[in-house]
Amino acid sequence: MSPAETGKNPASNRRALILVVERNPIVQRLEKYFLEQGGFGVEFVADGVAALKRARELHPNILVTEILVPKMDGLSLCHALKSDPATSDIRVLVFSHLHAEDRARDAGADAFLVKPLDESRLIETVANLISMSSGSAGEKD
Amino acid sequence: MVDKIATGCSGLDEVLYGGIPANTISVIMGAPGTGKTILAEQIAFANATTAATALYLTTMSEPLEKFIMHGQNYGFFDEAQVGVSVHYEDLGLMVREQGISQLAEIVTELLTTFRPRLLFIDSFKALTELMTLPSERRTVIFDLASALSTYECTTFLIGEYADAMMTELPEFAIADVVLQMVKIATNVREERFLRVEKLRASNSVPGLHAFSITAEGLQVYPRLLTPKVAPDYTARTVRVNTGIKGLDEMIAQGFSAGSTTLLAGPPGAGKTIMALQFIAEGALKGEPGVYLGFQENPTQLARVMRNLGLPVEKLLNDGLELMYQSPVEMQLDKVASELFLRIRSGKVKRVVIDALGDVQRASIDRRRFSNLIYALMQWFAVENVTCMFTYEMSDLFEVHGISDEEISNMSDNVLLLRFLPGPVLKRTLRIIKTRGSEHDGREHEIRITAQGLIVEDFEE
Repeated sequence: MSPAETGKNPASNRRALILVVERNPIVQRLEKYFLEQGGFGVEFVADGVAALKRARELHPNILVTEILVPKMDGLSLCHALKSDPATSDIRVLVFSHLHAEDRARDAGADAFLVKPLDESRLIETVANLISMSSGSAGEKD
Repeated sequence: MVDKIATGCSGLDEVLYGGIPANTISVIMGAPGTGKTILAEQIAFANATTAATALYLTTMSEPLEKFIMHGQNYGFFDEAQVGVSVHYEDLGLMVREQGISQLAEIVTELLTTFRPRLLFIDSFKALTELMTLPSERRTVIFDLASALSTYECTTFLIGEYADAMMTELPEFAIADVVLQMVKIATNVREERFLRVEKLRASNSVPGLHAFSITAEGLQVYPRLLTPKVAPDYTARTVRVNTGIKGLDEMIAQGFSAGSTTLLAGPPGAGKTIMALQFIAEGALKGEPGVYLGFQENPTQLARVMRNLGLPVEKLLNDGLELMYQSPVEMQLDKVASELFLRIRSGKVKRVVIDALGDVQRASIDRRRFSNLIYALMQWFAVENVTCMFTYEMSDLFEVHGISDEEISNMSDNVLLLRFLPGPVLKRTLRIIKTRGSEHDGREHEIRITAQGLIVEDFEE
């Protein structure tokens, strides 16, 4: 079973969806490649404001965000998602060049990874977050 | 009085007499790898607060991510300020989407969004290279300058500009401040220097100022200038004992306070021992001293001192500082600056520099070396610090000249050590000159004993 097959999650009938906030098209392409190789569905937005809107519409399993993104930074985005009951269950992975794990955790992030991109660590972290989501969903049932 | 913002860069504010004038446009120019971005980020982090933020716009020289990655290697980079008081944005991406002709509009929108008090565009040159026509470049930069001049913000344009571009490019016409950073290679070594090329409405210390890039960021060593008021030689009545048995009697019980003595001689003649005794005598008498050495490290020097019967631990407790600098990596201005700070502290009364030849070899040119030594000597005199320079001569027996002529002339006192050929090798000392004081000019024998070096009359 691929990490993307979610089982108990409400989104279990589809591939786990990851919404990635990344302004750089080159980095977007790389992340898309690796995450799709991991079996996940991926959608991109280029700034924090668009990410918040799209997260509310799509309700992805996971949101992956850089801190340094335009319009609304990744930490404010994370805080906004976690403060809203409608989106608070979306797992947030802060994936940044900035060594800001403490601030990411304070903002409510479920995981933090520092760039540069390490494919296996990214996939492993995303898979862990998926299984956390599945676990929470199961407990609620 | 012009409001200034401190750069947060040690030494640079001294060069700029307080910092960069607020609400001006500065160009930070220099070849790749000279430290432009480090300086710019250092200024950003030193000044940014939540009430007065800094906006750092990256363009097309390096991706924004690289700025973050590299910046975090320095002590000034406070990760907690990023996104709070220091904002990074990718201006290059916006310009690619909207076109370079929209530069002023894009920057204006960013200014109204972030309302920064400090703005950095790095690299501005890379951005303006998108404009192929000089007329377009001039118009776009003029529009940008107009926008910036109406908004209360101190702006820094960073770029890999060469000297010749200063007279050609419009960014230099709109700049109020131009800081140039250069690397100068001497054989296999490279030294970095900073120069204030332009500074409207303020003064700066002229010339090239050495700097180094440390884990904390840029450290500038302002070029040593002579004191504004010349030393008053008539006040030199206090004598400073040398602690060398037999020598004080030859020079009216010691050198004048604030004087400089050149101790010249071949290797092994006893220069370092005499210098150590001189500095130790001071520490024992409550006159703290700095021994600046380039060959023996503090451990080796301490061993030599113990062999001479000197109480090393007590001396170190009583104010003796053994300052060591490897001659291989020596940056002359850095050493001079560190020594100068000690002299200006008023706590140091004696200084030894062992040896002058090492300093000379570390200098990028002869004129700079002479100027620096001259300036130091003037400060020694003003601050009443008595100094001893050692100088190594290559000839063991014959003397064809004492040292660099200028240094001999500048020194108040000159002592010559040499070997006397014969079945038994003898060391001798002769006082060549003592400025404003009498001395015994006869050649004397010197002996190195377990109690230190002593000067005696010759036994015929």
